Amino acid sequence: MVLIMTNKYILKKDHLVPLLRQLGKEYQLVAPLENKHGDTLFTHIDNLDNCRVDLENQPQNSLKQFFFPQQEVLFRYRNQPGVSYEFEPAKSREDAVLYLGVRPCDLSAILYMDVVFLKDFKDPYYQKRRNNSVLVGLNCNTPFDNCFCNGTKSGPFIDYGFDLQLTDLGKYFLVESDRSRGEDILEKLHQFFELATEDDVKDQYQAYLESRGRFKRQVHVDLAMKNLAEGYVADGVWTELSERCQDCGGCAYICPTCVCFSIYDQQQSATEGERIRCWDACTFSGFTRMAGGHNPVDSSIRAIEQRFRHKLQFDVKKHGRPSCVGCGRCVEMCFGGTDIIRFINMACCEGM
Amino acid sequence: MEILQPDLYLPKSAEIIDVTEENSQIKTYILSFIDKEFNDSFAPQPGQFVLLSVPHYGEAPISFSSTPDENGRFHLSVRKAGKLTSALHAMEKGDIVGLRGPYGRPFPMEQFEGKNLLFVAGGIGLAPLCPVINSSLQNGADRCVTLLYGSRTPSDIAFKADIDKWRQHENVTCLLTVDSSEEGWQGEVGLVTGLFGKCSYDPDDTLAIICGPPMMIRAVFAELERQGFSDDNIITTMERHMKCGVGICRHCHMDEKLVCKDGPVFTLSELKKLDVMELRS
Repeated sequence: MVLIMTNKYILKKDHLVPLLRQLGKEYQLVAPLENKHGDTLFTHIDNLDNCRVDLENQPQNSLKQFFFPQQEVLFRYRNQPGVSYEFEPAKSREDAVLYLGVRPCDLSAILYMDVVFLKDFKDPYYQKRRNNSVLVGLNCNTPFDNCFCNGTKSGPFIDYGFDLQLTDLGKYFLVESDRSRGEDILEKLHQFFELATEDDVKDQYQAYLESRGRFKRQVHVDLAMKNLAEGYVADGVWTELSERCQDCGGCAYICPTCVCFSIYDQQQSATEGERIRCWDACTFSGFTRMAGGHNPVDSSIRAIEQRFRHKLQFDVKKHGRPSCVGCGRCVEMCFGGTDIIRFINMACCEGM
Repeated sequence: MEILQPDLYLPKSAEIIDVTEENSQIKTYILSFIDKEFNDSFAPQPGQFVLLSVPHYGEAPISFSSTPDENGRFHLSVRKAGKLTSALHAMEKGDIVGLRGPYGRPFPMEQFEGKNLLFVAGGIGLAPLCPVINSSLQNGADRCVTLLYGSRTPSDIAFKADIDKWRQHENVTCLLTVDSSEEGWQGEVGLVTGLFGKCSYDPDDTLAIICGPPMMIRAVFAELERQGFSDDNIITTMERHMKCGVGICRHCHMDEKLVCKDGPVFTLSELKKLDVMELRS
C-alpha cells in the first residue's frame, strides 16, 4: 500500500446508508430519491429504510426550492386603522439540513445564489437556511443527455464549494472536504472512512478525464458570451426566440439560478395578513410593468433578451462567470424551443 | 423555535402626521416613524427612496420629496396610479403606513455645491427634485437656480406652495407651463422644452437635473445636448417597478443595471452606455 499523503478518504458503498443513518441523528437529510413513479427528485428523507436514494440519475429539481422556496411568508402584519400597523417576523423551524448528491452544476448554482442573496444586502431567510446547510457533493462520472457544464465551467467535477464531496470510483466513493463542516464530519464519524491512497486519487483523475469525454452535446458557451459582449447578436435572434416562447415561465422555475421574485400581501382578515415572497420570471410581461400600465420593457422580445443577457453577459461582467450552470434542465422543460442551448447555438452563428 | 430577524424586508411603522393635496392626483404625506429612536437616526438623502407598505396592498417604491425637518418629519409625495397608491390616497392623518429604506444611490449633492442648477420636471417628477432645490437654496446664495416645470393643466400644477417659496429667492427663476390651458391661465402653454428659450444660463457652468415622464426626459436630454451640456452634467432619476429595493429581485432591471441599487440617480453619460427605454427614439 502506498503511503498516504492526501486528505482524501474512502467510503465503502455499503457504508453509505449506515453513515446517513448516523448523520440523520444530527441533520435532516435531503437526497435524490426515486419516488414510486420512477421520478428522481431532491426530497426530504423521512425514513431511510423506506426510500431509494438515487445517485445514478439527475434529480429533476435543483436545490433552489430548499434555500429559496417557491412561496414563503416573510412576515405577518396586523393593521388597526389609525391605531397600529405592525409587522411580526416569521418564525423559523429550520434545523440543520444535510444535502446529499449535490452535483457540480447544482453546487455552482448555490454558490451563485450566495452571491445574489448574501453579497451586499443579506437576505435573512436565505442566510438562515444556508448557514444551516451541509452540502455533500457528487462529481458526475457520466454527464446526462442535456448537460453542458463543461461549457459553463461548472462541471463535470468541481473542487471547491462543498462541505464533503463524493466521487464514485466503482467499488467505493472517494471522499473529500472543502469546508470545516465537512472536516468535522470526517473527524467525528471517522469510523465510516478509511484514508485514500494515491492510487485512489489517480482513479479519481481518470474518472474526471473520462467524464469530460462523455458529453453528448457540444455547447459553445464561451463563444456565445463573447458574441453577446461584443454586440454580434442580431435582433433577429431575440425576435425568433420570442416568437417561439410560450411565456410559461417553466425555464425560470426549473432553473437553479433563476432567483427573481415577487412580493405581495395575502390578506387574511380585515386586520391581518401575510407578506409573501414567490418565484417570478423576467420573461413575464408584468414583471416590469409599473402602476398605471407603463412598461419600460415594451415587448416579449426585450424580455427574453434580458433573460439570456443577464445569464451570459451581465453576470459575466459583474461576477466573472455566467450564471447558467449547464444543468440542461430548461432544455428538457421547454416545449417552445427557446431553451438556453437553442439560444447559445443561435448566438454562436452570429458574427461569423 | 428561533425568531428570524428579517430586518431587510421588515418595514417600520410610520404615522401620517399630515396630508397635503398637491392636486387631484398627487398628495404629499408628512411622516414620522413611531419608533422615535429610529426616527432620529433616519437620514435619507435627496434622490433616495423607500418601499412604502399600505395594509393589504404590499409595497411600492416612493422617492423622498424632502429631507427630514428639525422634528425628523419627512415627505413622500405620491401620485394615484394603481391599487396601492389609491388605497394610500384614502388614508388620512393619524393612519399608519410601513416603510423600509432608505435605498438607492442619492443625487451627488457634493457635486452640486456652489454650481448653477437647472431643474427640469414634469408632473410628479418634481417630487424627488424638491429636496435638492431646497438644499441648493440653503447653501450658497450666489448661484443661479432655474426650475422649468410642466404640468398637464393649470389645476394639475403640484407643489405650488414650494414654488411660491422658491420664487421669493432672487437668484431663483421658476417657469411653468401646461399642456392644455384652462380659464384664467395667463402662463405658458406647451411642452416644458418650450421654456428653454425663456431663461438664460451658461451650459458650460450649469448642472441639469431632470425628472419626469419618459417622453419628457427624452425631449429634454436632446435639447440640453443641443445646447452643449456635457453628458456628465445631465443628471436624472429613473422610475421602475420594484419589489425588494436592494438589488435581488431584478424587477427594476435596466439593461445590465438595477435601478434600485445602481440608481435611481444616473448621469446621461451612464445611461448612454446602456440600452434604456427612455433614450430609445
